[in-house]
Amino acid sequence: MDILHHFKYPSMFDLQLFGVDISVNKAILTLWIAAFCVLALILIASRKPKFVPGFFQNLIEVSIDFIKNEMLFDMPENQKNAWIPFLLALFGLIFICNIISLVPGAAAVTASLNFTGTLAVIVFITSQIFSIKTHGVRGYFGSFVPRDIPPFILPLLVPIEVITRLARPFSLAIRLFANIFAGHTIILVFFSLAIMLKSYFTGMIPLLGSVLISAFEIFIGFIQAFIFTYLSAMYITEAVGEH
Amino acid sequence: MGPLTMSGLTLAIAAFGCALGIGFLAGKGLEAMGRQPEASGSIRTAMLVAIAFIEAIALYALVIEILILYK
Repeated sequence: MDILHHFKYPSMFDLQLFGVDISVNKAILTLWIAAFCVLALILIASRKPKFVPGFFQNLIEVSIDFIKNEMLFDMPENQKNAWIPFLLALFGLIFICNIISLVPGAAAVTASLNFTGTLAVIVFITSQIFSIKTHGVRGYFGSFVPRDIPPFILPLLVPIEVITRLARPFSLAIRLFANIFAGHTIILVFFSLAIMLKSYFTGMIPLLGSVLISAFEIFIGFIQAFIFTYLSAMYITEAVGEH
Repeated sequence: MGPLTMSGLTLAIAAFGCALGIGFLAGKGLEAMGRQPEASGSIRTAMLVAIAFIEAIALYALVIEILILYK
């Protein structure tokens, strides 16, 4: 009863670059298709912008307004515009990857810890580098100490702050990975239940269940992309803002 | 009490705590939305973020279960 082999993709096209294996498999192709879809969406939305927006332009405008006003609300005003492309690209890539993985035959890119771990590490490194850039190295080490606390609980509080700061990329990566992986595993379990019943008539019921779970997965994919972007915006705001 | 039982128990206890927590949270959130319907947009956003946090904790247990079962 091995279900993990559905998430491992054999390489279709072996490539080597200075001894590092960068062979192409189905997940890489799906990731390229998703990135291309995000690019196409933004290009369609920004072609010939009208004052009364059409559908795609309105979609991107609502997303940008939401990111600017709700997600980045603690940031100083002059830096908000600089972070919007990064967060919009992050949200778009994760959402389109989650949606594409529900198409039969497509690979689930976000259901691999490699991909989500990479995104979380990117957000972590970006936030720490910009924190050092805004406050200097002294200010960066000073950000682990919250204000207005009596100094005798500092040896207890600073390690907790350090561990919190270091555990954030892990929690971001595992949250996204586990949600999408669990959703796809439940769909696979329904399919194997339909096969185990060995009858065309009663096998329809687990298939109906898998359709419902797929519909729920669309919603979960959107929520998880939104949560990843929202928490990344919160961590970046906390790293860059004054304290 | 082999690995199969233990891994199932891990996820069951984690899901129990998570369901309790999300139930409390959603109840309080919906009550707040009923008290002040103008703020329901921001209450809904904050409630969803908190639900994702609690759900992530239940999913850490799922990852540990997969590690136990397949190692």
